[in-house]
Amino acid sequence: MDSIPSLHRRTKALASTALEAGTIESFTVVHHPPAGFGSESYTVALIKTQSGKKVLAQLTRESAAAAIGATVTPHLRRIRTMHNGLFVNDLKYEVVTKKTEPLFTVTSYVLAVSGPSGVGKTTIARALLSLFASVAEQVPIYTTRHAKKTDVEPYVHVSKEQFDRMITSGDIIASTHMPSKTETRSYGYRRKDIEAIWKRGKLPIVVTEVHLLQGLVKALGRRAILSCGLLPPGKSRRLMLSSLLHRLRTRGRDTEEQIEERMKVAEVDLRAFADHAHLFDHLLVNDQLETCVETIREIATMKR
Amino acid sequence: MRETVYVLGGGQTRFGELWEKSLSDVIQEAVDAAITSTGVMPTDIDCIVIGNMVGGETAGQAHLGTFASGLLPHHPPALRVEAACASGGLAVHTACALLESNRAETVLVVGAEKLTDVAGDIVTSALMHAADNEKDAPSGLTFPSIFALTATAYMHRYNLTRDDLSLVSAASHRAATQNPYAQFRKEIPAASISKSPLIADPLRLLDCSPISDGAAALILSTKKESGVRIAATQLASESLSLVDRPSLTSFGSTKTAFLKAMKEAGWKQNEIDCIELHDCFSIASLINLEDMGFAEEGQAIRLFKDQDTESQGSLPVNPSGGLKACGHPIGATGVKQILDCYKQLTNQAPNQVKNARHALAHNLGGVGATCTVHLLETV
Repeated sequence: MDSIPSLHRRTKALASTALEAGTIESFTVVHHPPAGFGSESYTVALIKTQSGKKVLAQLTRESAAAAIGATVTPHLRRIRTMHNGLFVNDLKYEVVTKKTEPLFTVTSYVLAVSGPSGVGKTTIARALLSLFASVAEQVPIYTTRHAKKTDVEPYVHVSKEQFDRMITSGDIIASTHMPSKTETRSYGYRRKDIEAIWKRGKLPIVVTEVHLLQGLVKALGRRAILSCGLLPPGKSRRLMLSSLLHRLRTRGRDTEEQIEERMKVAEVDLRAFADHAHLFDHLLVNDQLETCVETIREIATMKR
Repeated sequence: MRETVYVLGGGQTRFGELWEKSLSDVIQEAVDAAITSTGVMPTDIDCIVIGNMVGGETAGQAHLGTFASGLLPHHPPALRVEAACASGGLAVHTACALLESNRAETVLVVGAEKLTDVAGDIVTSALMHAADNEKDAPSGLTFPSIFALTATAYMHRYNLTRDDLSLVSAASHRAATQNPYAQFRKEIPAASISKSPLIADPLRLLDCSPISDGAAALILSTKKESGVRIAATQLASESLSLVDRPSLTSFGSTKTAFLKAMKEAGWKQNEIDCIELHDCFSIASLINLEDMGFAEEGQAIRLFKDQDTESQGSLPVNPSGGLKACGHPIGATGVKQILDCYKQLTNQAPNQVKNARHALAHNLGGVGATCTVHLLETV
C-alpha cells in the first residue's frame, strides 16, 4: 500500500469513482492506528453506497457519532502520510444529520465556477457536487467536439448543424466557440436544463469560462448567477501561468500541442478577471482544495 | 479420506514472548519434541510441510521448507504453505493430500511463527496482509478492527451485551490454567475483560488473541499406525474482503469446510466430543459455533452462559485454552490444534474430556476468508 505505483493506481481509481452517498452497515473506532495514519483514534465504517457497492472508509473527524443505518456522504480528505512524507488523500465520509444538512433553500440561482484551464474547476465541482449531493446538480454542456475517453465533464455531443439550430431556436442561451487547429468547437448551455434543475428544487452548478458566463448573465440576469472565479496560486501573472502549465502537464489529459492552446486561452481567462470584474462575485485562490471548497460552500449557503 | 492417515503424535514449544529463541530455535524445538515423543526414525520422514505466515516480515526468513528440511539428516523434500492465520491448518491439509495421493508415507508437519522480534508497528502491518490490501487497508483498518466490524454488526443485530461477550475469553483463560504450554495461565474474570483497554471498538485487549512466538509439529503417516486417525480434512474459501460478503455475522468458509468435513467423515453433529476452535477474537468463537450449527444464529453465547463449553460440559470448546489464552503464533496455531485434539483422543490432555473419541479442529485465516476443518477419531 505504501508505494508510489500503488498510490497512483488508487488515485486513478478514485478519479473514476462516482461520489455517492451511502448508509453505514457497521463501524469500529480504531484506537491503535497503523503507521502513517497518525496517533489519534478514528472511525472506520463499512458503507453500502446508493448503487449497492460496499466500501470501507474513514468517517470525517467532525462527523456526528456513527450508527448502523446512518446516512453518509463522501469527501476527499487527507488520510495518511507515506513514509517518504507524501500526503495521501482518500474518500472519507461524513454522517449526515439534520444539523449538517445544508440549510439554504435554492432561490433560482446558478452557481458558476470559472477560471483558466488547469486551475482545478472540475475537481472543485466534483467536491461541491459530493458535498451537496442531494441539493446540487451539474448543468450538462452541449458541444460539437468529439467525445474523448478522458472527458470528465457532463458533455452532450451534437453536430455543428444541430448546435446552430439550437442557438437559432433559443434553446441554447449561452454559447462560445473555440477555434482549434482541427475544428471549431462550440459549447453551450440550454435554458431547459437549468430550469429543470430548479424545478427539482436543486442548485444548478456550471463549470464554465468567461464567454459562457456572459451569455448566462445576459439570459438569466446578473443577480441569478453566483459567480466564483478561481485563480491559480502565484504572486504574479507569470507565476500563475507557470503553476497552470505544471498542473496541465501533470494531469496528462492533453498533448503538448493542446496544452499550448490551453495556455493561450488561460492567459485570456486570467485577464478576464480584471477586464470583466463585474462578472465575478468572489475570486478565490485555489492553492488548497479543502479550503477552497469550504469557502465556496460558505458562500453558497449564505443568505442572499 | 482416500487413505487412512494416522496421527503418530507431535510436540510443541511453549507459546509466548520467547525472546531467548529465534524462529529457527522454535522450529527445531518443536521438531525435536515431535520426533522424541513419537519415536519415529527421522529418516522415515519422507516429506515436510511447514505453515508460516510472516517469517519474511518479522524474522527476515522465507524459504522455510528447506530450512526445516536441513534439521533432518537426510534432507527430505519440504515446502512452506501460507493462508494467513490458517497456515497451520493448511499445512496439515497439504500433508494429508500428499499422504492420500501416496506421494509420501510419513510426513512431518510444522507450524511456526516468531512475532516478538520486531516493533508493534511492523507486526500490525504484517498481520494486515491477511486482509485485502486494496479494499481494506487504504481506510486505515488494522486486523483487529476488521473483526471489530463483525462484532459491531453482531452485537447490533442480536443484542449481545458487552458483559456477555466477555464470557468467551474468560472461559479460554480458565481452561489455560491447566495447560503448561499456554502463554497465559491465569484466570481472568469476565468483569476485568469488560474493562480492559479498547483496541478497536467494541473489541478490547482481552477480546483479542495475543502476539506470540512458538511452534508445533506433528507426524502423520499412512504406513505407521496409531490409535488416532484423521477422519476428514477440508479447506474452504470466502471473499477476502468484508465488502464482498453477503453477511457480516457469518463466515461462509466455516460453513462450507464444516459441512464437507462432516460429510467426508460420515459423523453426526452430536458425536463430536470436543472442539479446538479458532477464537482469534471473542466474537469469532460465537460466529464460528453458529456457522457450524452448534447454536442458532445469535444464540451461541448461551453455550458459554450455560457452561456447556467447559471440558466437562456437553460441548467442550477449547479445553486447551484456545488462541486467546494459549497464544497465537500464527502459523503454529493450526498444527497445535490438531496436536491438542490428538492429546484429547489419547487421554493425555490437560482438561481431559471424558471418553473423547471424536475431536474437531477449526482454523481460520483472515476474517473467515479461509477455513480448514479437521476431524480426528480414535481407531
